[in-house]
Amino acid sequence: MSHTWMIAGGWLAAGLTIFIFSFLYKDNPFFKIAEHLYLGAGMGWWFQVYLYSIWIPKVADPLRAHQWAVLVPAVLGVSLVTQFFPKISWVSRYGFTFLMGYGAGLAIPTMLSTNFMSQIYGCIQPFTDVSHMTRLGMLNSLIVAVGTIAVLFYFFFSVENKGAVKKISNIGIYFLMAYFGTTFGNTVMARFSLLYGRFDELYSYSGANYFYATQVLLAGMVAYFLVHGLLAKKKPEGGAAN
Amino acid sequence: MKLIKKQIPFAIVFVFGMLTLVSYYVPHPKSVAFLDTVSQWENIVSSFAFLLGLFSLFYTHYAKIKKKGDGWGYSLFVFVGFLAVVVPAIVSHGRQMSGSEMTPLGWSFRYIYNTLLATMFAVLAFYIVSTAYRSFRIKSVQAMVLFVAALILILGRVPIGEILWGKALGWTGHSLSGLMNWIVDVPSVAGKRGIMIGIAVGAVVTSLKIVFGIERQYLGKD
Repeated sequence: MSHTWMIAGGWLAAGLTIFIFSFLYKDNPFFKIAEHLYLGAGMGWWFQVYLYSIWIPKVADPLRAHQWAVLVPAVLGVSLVTQFFPKISWVSRYGFTFLMGYGAGLAIPTMLSTNFMSQIYGCIQPFTDVSHMTRLGMLNSLIVAVGTIAVLFYFFFSVENKGAVKKISNIGIYFLMAYFGTTFGNTVMARFSLLYGRFDELYSYSGANYFYATQVLLAGMVAYFLVHGLLAKKKPEGGAAN
Repeated sequence: MKLIKKQIPFAIVFVFGMLTLVSYYVPHPKSVAFLDTVSQWENIVSSFAFLLGLFSLFYTHYAKIKKKGDGWGYSLFVFVGFLAVVVPAIVSHGRQMSGSEMTPLGWSFRYIYNTLLATMFAVLAFYIVSTAYRSFRIKSVQAMVLFVAALILILGRVPIGEILWGKALGWTGHSLSGLMNWIVDVPSVAGKRGIMIGIAVGAVVTSLKIVFGIERQYLGKD
């Protein structure tokens, strides 16, 4: 891509970033434009991903090579689209039932091995090597094992939650809260890291090599809000509906 | 008609569910080949499911433009955004880079899609913090645990947190990052493991109900 395209890209990216950030002040047409563009671009992105990673190499190419077996999933896939035609929408069941059957059949062994057995193994495994463990390591492993059991008690609904069961499940809530707290903290930090990235890009586009794209667009945005605010003030009461 | 509309679909769920389940545990070349084939088929079928969403979105916005409903002009930008990615993708044959050169698709990804995606999620940072500020009420010890865990994790990931910790609690001889790692590796892991085991049990039971036709809501009415 030529240098001109890079500068145009910088202006576009700076503009779209400022349009979306403008929502933090208040809703406005520029944000709505960026929002709708995002929706369309997102769909476009996934469309081209499916086109070049599945429909062409896994459907069209095999068909050109006379591998007719690929017609089975292709027809099942097309059957899903019959959802839009009420009279024949039942045909889509064939595609959906294939997806559900395969998904359910695969979920059972994978869930059992990764989410069930591996987690139990993770709780027990440290105690198989007690002689090499430090006191702190042993204490931590005990906390994890006891905490996991306490959380399971909290999710165990087959017996009434009272007496000793309630006490243990209450301990489980503390572990759950610790998990939710760390998950929340991680989410906040991930979002902030994206935010730093956006500010970093805006800073890049504020240079002379991009003809001060960030400053110009930001000034334009501020001018829009000022003019819009002044015009709204001038309107008589009751006529402000827009 | 009942056979075509109901019984065959249930047979498909049962046959593919059982064959996939059994094949997973059978170390035979045929079962491995079966799993591989069905996995590819699943990729193809689910890719068509994407078209359901795409057509639905296009239809909604097309109808809005046609009726000139509220904010119909914005709907045009859905199509503009779609074409802004798909046309360069076709021109570039789905490649973002050609050697060391950025293709039109790479340009479109870098300056349009990635910009919009990253900024949309970055804006959420403000909303997460403002919502947390408004909704966090430390009314119990359990809520306090959540707050402290989140605060330690947030402060532990930025240099200022370590500086503040050093000034206030440096005399303890422990670092904030050490405490953060302990919370992530010990109590948080216990909570996570309990949830994961619960999810596994729930998923297995639901999957069995689907395979044996006890759970049928996904088929809809009729």
